[in-house]
Amino acid sequence: MFKLRPFSKGLIYLILIIYSIGVFIPFLTLGLNSFKSLREIFLTPFSLPSYFRIENYAATWKQANLLIAYINSFTISIVSIFGILLTSSMIAYILARYDFPFRRILYLYIISGLVLPARLAIIPIYLLLRDLALLDTRIGLILVYIATGIPFSVFILKHFMEAVPVEIEDSARIDGASPWKIYSLIILPLCRPALVVVGIFNFVAIWNDFFFPLILINSRSKETIPLAISVFFGEYANQWHLLSTALWMATFPALLMFAILSKQFISGMTQGAIK
Amino acid sequence: MKIKFLYIFLFMVPGILLYTMFVAYSFGYSLSLSFFSWPGVGPKIFVGFQNYKDALVGIYSTEFFRALSHNVYFFALVTLLELGLGFLLALALATQLRGYHVFQTIVFMPNIISLVMVGFIWGMLLNPQIGLINEFLRSVRLGGLARGWLGDSDIVLTVIILVNVWRNVGFYILILLAAILNIPPEFFEAAYIDGATNLKITWHIVLPLVKPTFQTLTILLFIWSFNVFDLVYALEGVQAGPFRSTDVLGTLFYRTAFGGLGSARLDLGLGATVASLIFVIVFPVSILYVYFVERKS
Repeated sequence: MFKLRPFSKGLIYLILIIYSIGVFIPFLTLGLNSFKSLREIFLTPFSLPSYFRIENYAATWKQANLLIAYINSFTISIVSIFGILLTSSMIAYILARYDFPFRRILYLYIISGLVLPARLAIIPIYLLLRDLALLDTRIGLILVYIATGIPFSVFILKHFMEAVPVEIEDSARIDGASPWKIYSLIILPLCRPALVVVGIFNFVAIWNDFFFPLILINSRSKETIPLAISVFFGEYANQWHLLSTALWMATFPALLMFAILSKQFISGMTQGAIK
Repeated sequence: MKIKFLYIFLFMVPGILLYTMFVAYSFGYSLSLSFFSWPGVGPKIFVGFQNYKDALVGIYSTEFFRALSHNVYFFALVTLLELGLGFLLALALATQLRGYHVFQTIVFMPNIISLVMVGFIWGMLLNPQIGLINEFLRSVRLGGLARGWLGDSDIVLTVIILVNVWRNVGFYILILLAAILNIPPEFFEAAYIDGATNLKITWHIVLPLVKPTFQTLTILLFIWSFNVFDLVYALEGVQAGPFRSTDVLGTLFYRTAFGGLGSARLDLGLGATVASLIFVIVFPVSILYVYFVERKS
């Protein structure tokens, strides 16, 4: 790898530190603003709050509907991930292990979803959910997330499963284990690393998604966090202290979570996109 | 290996069914809808290529090509900045100096925050009344540079691109870093023995070896650049103001299909046409992407 003289080393540290400050300042400002009064935000933008106004939090938590939004975001993300992992790994297992007519065509059919940006199909998705009476429901949103998550997840999981030696399954098969037993008791545990990558990748994408809830969800009782924040911004325009508090409550837990699990997040999100 | 057809069926049906309904069928339906005029209720009227004519040469062409040109500008600038800055910072991290894991975590941090929320955060920082950016410029006596960053149609698209860079560049840094760290250390050692400088090594060894990664990332950037929506929505709304100066195909699509004040004609057919046109642009490049990743694995 690169060898550096002390001077260059110092220079690189300087660059990295300046860059890191650039990353932190927006979050830091947000965090500080969340404890200030509106007046303070206008008059003393750079200083610490005169005292930490916890009341901003009490006011915003309710008005921004954040408790419900958090519950919704969690439920929707977790159930979707579970659905994606289950359906995709079953498909991937069959495609990776068994030969049957039209196998190749079926694989290409699913993989072609990789090149179809799901958002562009939003009009028919909207109509479909409307006809199924699933518009403005969490279930509807979950079904859409599972469906759009499948191509990518099948792609990753199939490649991973092909690398798992067949011999492991053979002895179980001789003992008369059914495909379901082999899949659930042998294959799934062996695929854990790939399942984690696929899970994290999809989790972050679904947790952060704004487009589908914007179009498919109307009721405040069903909105996800990005949607709740967006609605709050519409209602409380220029109430910067409350807006800051809401944004901070929506981002800080994610930042904290990331700080704790950064390794898993980074590998999940980078490997996920590039493989 | 042999397996009962029943098992294949049971394993595949749940996923295939959902995928067929919400992706494959929906896509096909969207394409076919682009040949109709339909406000969402009542009968659909077949209009042939009229929607395409409207979008490409007719009354909506100004709007369509303006949005398209903004996507192209977005792609060009974002690629230049995210790959350029990404590569430089990846090089800095590739020295693996003490604590580089911490920096790795820091540069990636903005990436885990939803784009809409990043948009709202920067909307506050760039606000002319309370925004820290202007306050900062004034405090270092550069007050002349302070302006309404999100209200000036000459610069606002570039400002939005910069916000996008702030949020996403960490991803490119880490991908490029992984590619650089993949280079066998012997290559470096041999070059040092031959007396090569770091600059020479970067140019003659590192750059050629990470070229395939650049290619893949450029393709991804292309696809993502034509899907831009969230940031513009958060910072300028679906009207993509001021005066449509931030309008991209994503916001144009939203307005035609789902309304939003000021859209001249609300038509799901015309909306589907815009979607189809975006797809036509992105599709060849997407095929290239699948080809690249399949070749790798």
